[in-house]
Amino acid sequence: MAMKMNRRDFIAKSAKVAAGAFVVPYILPSGRLFAQTGNQLAEHVVYVLFAGGVRQQESVLQRYLDDSQNFPSAGNIMYNMMNGAPPPFKIVYGTDVPNEPNGSAPIPAILNQSLQSQGTLFREVKATTTGHFSGLNTLITGNTGASQGLKQKPIYPTIFEYLRRHAGFKATDCWFVGNTIGNSTPLLDFSEHPNYGAQYGANFLCPSVAFGSKGIEHLSNAKIYHPEEELDPMYKMKYFLDNSFKSNGGIPVPNIGNTEEEKQQIKEFVRNTFLNQASGNIAMPPVSDNGDLRNVGYACEVMKAFKPKVTVVNLSSVDGCHSDFTGYLRSLHRADHAVGFLWDYIQNNIPGMANNTIMIVTPEHGRNQNPNPIMDDNDWFAFDHSDANSLRVFTQMVGPNVPSNLSIGAETNQIGTTMDNVVTIADIFGVKQDVLGSGLINGQAMSLFDRI
Amino acid sequence: MKKLLFVFALALLLLGCRKEAPIYGVNNVDLDLIETSKTKLKTPNQFVAILYANLFQTALPVNKLVEITDLIDAIGDDQVAYEIIISNFMNMPTVQIPSNTDMRANPEHFIIETYKRFLIRRPTEAEKTYFINRINTNQNITAELVYFSFALSDEYQYY
Repeated sequence: MAMKMNRRDFIAKSAKVAAGAFVVPYILPSGRLFAQTGNQLAEHVVYVLFAGGVRQQESVLQRYLDDSQNFPSAGNIMYNMMNGAPPPFKIVYGTDVPNEPNGSAPIPAILNQSLQSQGTLFREVKATTTGHFSGLNTLITGNTGASQGLKQKPIYPTIFEYLRRHAGFKATDCWFVGNTIGNSTPLLDFSEHPNYGAQYGANFLCPSVAFGSKGIEHLSNAKIYHPEEELDPMYKMKYFLDNSFKSNGGIPVPNIGNTEEEKQQIKEFVRNTFLNQASGNIAMPPVSDNGDLRNVGYACEVMKAFKPKVTVVNLSSVDGCHSDFTGYLRSLHRADHAVGFLWDYIQNNIPGMANNTIMIVTPEHGRNQNPNPIMDDNDWFAFDHSDANSLRVFTQMVGPNVPSNLSIGAETNQIGTTMDNVVTIADIFGVKQDVLGSGLINGQAMSLFDRI
Repeated sequence: MKKLLFVFALALLLLGCRKEAPIYGVNNVDLDLIETSKTKLKTPNQFVAILYANLFQTALPVNKLVEITDLIDAIGDDQVAYEIIISNFMNMPTVQIPSNTDMRANPEHFIIETYKRFLIRRPTEAEKTYFINRINTNQNITAELVYFSFALSDEYQYY
């Protein structure tokens, strides 16, 4: 039986079909229609490059001084991230209180339920290298090729470039919040790969420098121009100059492709952050007495302002373990505090990201089994990172579609590698096959979801 | 006496008839760069040092140069960092920018000098016409905004 359709319905349906035909197709920078080939597991990823070389013995294995210094006190000093009771005595990792030994007041837990209970912990993961820069390279490229030539960027594309090219993310969707401009950290925002590179790069920010004393002197007093009456004619003149240069054979300046609107947003963010800093309104953790903690505070400001799809946060204070084991324990405890705060802040203060973010936490490498001869004020030995024990790390995931209270692998059963995280993030955004199809990811890397 | 006059005359003859040394003239030659000869991207360090010299007509102290270069590293997008740094420079009382009165009194001279200061070349006729027209028809355009646009231009980032 033929169905009748009145004129109004016909016009409405025709308009919807026509609109669909125009709206749905979206050509990505990769040249393909549609953003995803797989299901998206979350809309945001926060990826913490954890702490700067962490021994399994003081983290996942919770041996505190028992293993490292032959002192009989074991326990968990990372209780926001992992389940387990804290050490019973010889507490040095907390904050200082008057008339007590230094560090004797542990920092109270932020999370009611540890990330281990909320998510999945890969207890024993293989790190591919024992160097900081090469370790960070692996964590953001999913491959092992790295060279630290002078000012040399990663050889293989970074996760930012994969996502911008294959998932169509814009520049301000991708942020790398670094705790330093040392150790070549600012080079990690994009690679030098000819098929990817600057045009698919991330925004990089090192808050300790940008908002430190140098920033206050040279950035905070930026003149504010009227957008229509001043900036608009200024940009028109700039574009005229650029077109003139280009039409005469000049080379456009390589850049990460922030649009004018995004640039304006970043400038506004910088201006507001100076104001918030001056008025004490940066989202700092309850304890913020080291660089990692302050970096996380500024990372929260970035997330609040931009709601990035992917935010990489680098922490590295535990690297003090080369010469100060007590300082290392304090930094490790604070790195846990930082991660706990970060997760709590996202869930309670960033509505656009709450319940829609997967967080991944992995150290770039471990530290040695045996100490070096350097002793600290407690007469405890320090540890470098160069032996097989330095190739042992953990990875933690939490968020929607991540199994809760799941622990995978054991000390004698390594599961996963530090190369997996890039594929895992691609998997979260539904572009795993595209990223693997690039042929630029190490053949051993696979999504952690496929290892569960 | 005759002997003395003879010696004097001889000296005049020998010294006074010297051949004149040639004086060579030099024609003016325009050594300005052309746009296409600029292919090397300035490093952030070079950009800041040259920018400061262009805006303040004096060299930036080395310690300040290092500090500002660090800040460019700390804000990954160089273009955004440059814009913020220029905005800061423009807020400093010692910045050397012609007055708007001077600019509007002789826009052609102002534009030629601006091209020479920032881009180390003279403008083409088309470029000169564009800027003179912009200045004459838009009262919002100040010498500062013209300088800002030159400092942000792609060509300025090459040498």
